Amino acid sequence: MSYFSNISSAITTLVDGMKVTMGYFVRPREHVTLQYPDEVWPVPSRNIGVGELDTYNTIRSKLTVDINDCIGCKACERACPVNCITIDTYRGEPDQDLGTTSKGTKIKLLTANFTIDMSECMFCDLCTPPCPEDCIVMTPDYQFISNDNQKMDVTPEERWRDRDLLIYQFSKVSEEERQRLKAEAKEAAQAKALATAAKKAEAEKAAAEKAAKEAAEAELQTQAPITNIEYAEEAPPVSSEPESEVVPFAFTEAVVPVLESTDNEETTRINIPIETLTKVEKQDEILEEPQTESAPHIPEAAQVSEDSVTSMEKQDEILEESQSEPTPEILEDSQDAEDSMTKESDNG
Amino acid sequence: MIQSLANWILSFDILSGMGISIAWSLSLFIVAALIFVFVAANAIVLVYIERKVSAFMQVRLGPMRVGKFGTLQTVADALKLLQKEDIIPDKADKILFTIGPWIILVASVVTFAAIPFSDTLLAANMNIGLFYVVSISSIVVLGIVMAGWASNNKWSLYGAMRSAAQIISYEIPVGITLISVVAVVGSLNLQTIIESQAGVGNLFHWIPIPLPNWYIFHSPFLFVAAFVYLIGATAEINRTPFDIPESESELVAGFMTEFSGLRWALFFLSEYANATLVAFLVSIVFLGGWQSPFANYEGVQIGFLVISLFAIMWTIFVKVKTKRLSFYPLGLSIIITLSAWLFPGFAIWLASPGLFWMLMKVASIIFLLMWFRWTFPRLRVDQLMYVSWKVILPLSLINLMGVAVWMWLSGEIQF
Repeated sequence: MSYFSNISSAITTLVDGMKVTMGYFVRPREHVTLQYPDEVWPVPSRNIGVGELDTYNTIRSKLTVDINDCIGCKACERACPVNCITIDTYRGEPDQDLGTTSKGTKIKLLTANFTIDMSECMFCDLCTPPCPEDCIVMTPDYQFISNDNQKMDVTPEERWRDRDLLIYQFSKVSEEERQRLKAEAKEAAQAKALATAAKKAEAEKAAAEKAAKEAAEAELQTQAPITNIEYAEEAPPVSSEPESEVVPFAFTEAVVPVLESTDNEETTRINIPIETLTKVEKQDEILEEPQTESAPHIPEAAQVSEDSVTSMEKQDEILEESQSEPTPEILEDSQDAEDSMTKESDNG
Repeated sequence: MIQSLANWILSFDILSGMGISIAWSLSLFIVAALIFVFVAANAIVLVYIERKVSAFMQVRLGPMRVGKFGTLQTVADALKLLQKEDIIPDKADKILFTIGPWIILVASVVTFAAIPFSDTLLAANMNIGLFYVVSISSIVVLGIVMAGWASNNKWSLYGAMRSAAQIISYEIPVGITLISVVAVVGSLNLQTIIESQAGVGNLFHWIPIPLPNWYIFHSPFLFVAAFVYLIGATAEINRTPFDIPESESELVAGFMTEFSGLRWALFFLSEYANATLVAFLVSIVFLGGWQSPFANYEGVQIGFLVISLFAIMWTIFVKVKTKRLSFYPLGLSIIITLSAWLFPGFAIWLASPGLFWMLMKVASIIFLLMWFRWTFPRLRVDQLMYVSWKVILPLSLINLMGVAVWMWLSGEIQF
């Protein structure tokens, strides 16, 4: 009997299911899908900003820049965690009027290139708060779609480049003008690099002389017991050297063993020659390491390669021999580092 | 039809010079081409309708972009499939892989030779028409096994084995169900089967409800047999809920996994050709074929046509007036189920009422199959076997005996 009840229950349940589908088929109702290009979900537009002017939208999508308001302060570039913003600024002519922003600030730097790589952007919105002119904003445009490469009306100056059309470039000047500015900046950077190289060589020579002198003094001082306080007082002359960034580093390294060895005299005796040794090493490190922190002062160091290090050492030898005039080799080296120089040298 | 076509060709003065054999072969070719064109065009229309039906049952819109309401979507799909790269896997059996889809297509197209579209529109009037159709359509499984084996892919082989097991299981109840009808008619000729359903009679012979003399109303046993046949045939053509040979959630695409481009299109073509064939068989065997449901009442037929045309006009009027996509029940269902047939329907009816009613019935059955497909979940393999051997087969045997008893009781046969 369960055989027939099975069949009857199967039939009734199947008919029930068919009723449901026929109900959906026949009944007029709104469809649940969207005809995408014609219909889109509305973008939620809840303003969570403070005050009337601060209309900060919750949707964080495409970045855009009102390039006419940009003062080239590079606050957004520094704030970006993924380095997707690249800004090139140049000083204009001394008497050139670069205009004012909509907030009334006088623009002092010419922003020749403002590139946002949206393929790198992670939509964190950290770049918009630092902007003093509120010219970089996140728009709610989440569809990076265009039928025409050339006509995306974010700004009239916007152009498309490679990388799947996700790099947005803004500029205040034309392409030729920007190339000219770049070339000029290169020349200036080269001149500056030569100047700094000469200056540095001079400074190095002074440092070497001083180191030799100190070593001699230390030799003398090993005869007499000294306290760490005395040594700490002697340290400041080191910081007056041109490579002022390195000094605290060398200072701490020198002080730490001394502090440990306050109770024992013999260790201090050993330590002092070591300190002079480390100082010499530090000077080598200045040349070897590509110092990103002190890059404006030593533009050649921006190159990170073994070759550059060796060439630097050669330079030192050459510079020690002839301090006054730069050799052709230096010119070549400085040209290798052109790109980084043009950006970095005009930074300050 | 071939003979009359040959005679017609010879009746022209210019063409009468050719011999009867050339005219005969020429008309053979023309008829074969017509059948193939029918099958191909039918598949293109049915794919569109199936997508629309599924969309509406799932509260979607379906294809909407290509052409008005996406009507050209399947044409675009077919063009795309023709352009696709012809891939044969490295480790595949190249010969079997190549001919497998063609065997499936040929087996499903050739069956239409014996299918009567109307009282005169029939390629080959065979006295074993029903037997021919059933036996030829079983060859499809040969192509499926070929394709699955040649693909050298476990999913394909699983699909092919399942298909073989399924067809072996369901051929038996389907055959017995058809035999129970043949027992009533006393002939395997499809044309004779249809002609024997002419006229109006009582429901189940005694209940005084005037209905056409279709075999589905012949007796309660044949009424059940019609649904048994529909279920078995659905399983035979591998449609949901019996689509375990290509169950896309278990086997990637079953025996079609390794196929692409033209060969895959052939599978699709034959799938819909088979669905159409089943619909044709159901309407021929149980629903009176090209017999009108209103028997000899011409006025009723014209009234039916006027009403359906009015429904279409009404739907269009509502659409134009509200200027939005509105789904009005009557108009929509008529458009979707019958759009393939209804617009040329009036002309077809004028030319041949039999063809019109035949196509109407076929369209309804196909819609029923689509309705099944988008309602029922897929059966498991063991459930499939259970349904076949323990439910459908006993039912069909009971039907066969019941029909015999019924005929004896109603006096159709005497011992």
